[in-house]
Amino acid sequence: MAIFRYPNWRWPEIPGALEDFERARRQMDRLLSVFTGGVSNPTSSGVFPPLLVTEDENTIYVEAEIPGIKAEDLDISVVGRTLTLSGERKPEEAQNVNYHRRERKWGSFRKALTLPEDVNADAVRAECKNGVLKLVLPKPEQVKPRKITIKSE
Amino acid sequence: MAEKDLQIEEKQEVQATGESTRNVPVFVPAVDIYESENALTLVADMPGIPIESVDIDLDSDQLTMRGTIAMQDEKGKVIFREYTAGDYYRQFTLSSDIDRDKIQASMKDGVLKLVLPKAEAAKPRKITIQSS
Repeated sequence: MAIFRYPNWRWPEIPGALEDFERARRQMDRLLSVFTGGVSNPTSSGVFPPLLVTEDENTIYVEAEIPGIKAEDLDISVVGRTLTLSGERKPEEAQNVNYHRRERKWGSFRKALTLPEDVNADAVRAECKNGVLKLVLPKPEQVKPRKITIKSE
Repeated sequence: MAEKDLQIEEKQEVQATGESTRNVPVFVPAVDIYESENALTLVADMPGIPIESVDIDLDSDQLTMRGTIAMQDEKGKVIFREYTAGDYYRQFTLSSDIDRDKIQASMKDGVLKLVLPKAEAAKPRKITIQSS
């Protein structure tokens, strides 16, 4: 089991900046892959499934690409700030066939992610559609930003 | 079953197959292809693509599959990213004759499955050796 710790720094809040960086990174990767013969995502933990974590004021959203995994083969748990995804991708049962290509991988996985903030574990919602898992993790009241009004005498 | 841990397979971007007008990355889906006596089956991982956005085209022996993602705004700001959503595109040249009227395509949990039945002429025939 691998534990990925969420990085302490944050991207500056410029709309589209991260997408631009990401695009630049991909182009750079493509250039460099000529020399290295394939590169890996520097921010990737390397553990299946690949995640996309976003947050807004009230909620943390976690998405994962899990093509071919049925909802019943997937276990999701939240303990404190640790979100754990585990499960198994089963090989397709085809008999008496000859394989020409076999690129799709199968096996079991366990991945833990430390969330940047506490979440209300009872209110977590999970949805799986078209091979993409979407988790909605609401933040508890006490960590939500509060607007403080200043009273003038 | 043997213990085997899944690793992330870095998505491979399609290298210059004519530029797309949409500003989204185009990836090469991981594919399994297997052949039985009667059919050629193709299984492709296309997470995030609904069935109605998959285009399959068979032009003589050139099979093209394309999955178009519905880009939606990501909620909130991104704090950690291991993948990018995008389109999928892949092309194959088929060797055996395919009965085009009987091609079946289905999609489940982001996995496309194409069953391409072989035409009668391409099915294997058992050859019996006659001894005189």
